[in-house]
Amino acid sequence: MVKKINFIVKDKSFEKFMMMVILGTTGNAMDIEMNFFFTFWGLFLLKKNFKPKVAGAPFPFKGIAAKVFKKRLKKTGIGDAWELIKEAVDDGKINLYPCTTTMDLMGIKLEDMVEFVADPIGAAGFLEICDGADGIVSL
Amino acid sequence: MCPLPVIMAKRELKKMSSGQELELIVDDLGALKDVPALIKKTGDEILNTKEEGKQITFLIKKV
Repeated sequence: MVKKINFIVKDKSFEKFMMMVILGTTGNAMDIEMNFFFTFWGLFLLKKNFKPKVAGAPFPFKGIAAKVFKKRLKKTGIGDAWELIKEAVDDGKINLYPCTTTMDLMGIKLEDMVEFVADPIGAAGFLEICDGADGIVSL
Repeated sequence: MCPLPVIMAKRELKKMSSGQELELIVDDLGALKDVPALIKKTGDEILNTKEEGKQITFLIKKV
């Protein structure tokens, strides 16, 4: 059975954010260790109060599309995605790793991010976590 | 809607003791695959699955 799956999150779109939320919380529910490495634009998803836009929507509707999706998700019961993630982080099976290089490149500090991120790591740190992973996915 | 059926089921199962039963009612057809996948991982048992239109009711026993 699958025990550990690692993800590289490199985009800051609404779509990638929701994929992270859904895969991460489900993996946690199934006792699968889910490690997410947020690098380059992906790091923006960890910023407090960041509002991701829908990359797949045509310009200039990317922000509006995000609002529409959020409304629909709320109707089906997914009100606050970060609350779901926090629950999963407290549960212990999901880790959100900021990339140290990206933090320097983009000038994003730990204080700018949500409180329950894991300790920032670099490439070697991430590759070490890949040891024994059943799969490594690039989101 | 996914992932709620699985997350809600797991939440309840965590609070239950061995032998207790959980009735899970969802309106997500995807749950027909998702919930069994979760239960396979947790080692619990699905005693019954009932489909009524768009509504699915699972009877799950905590092992």
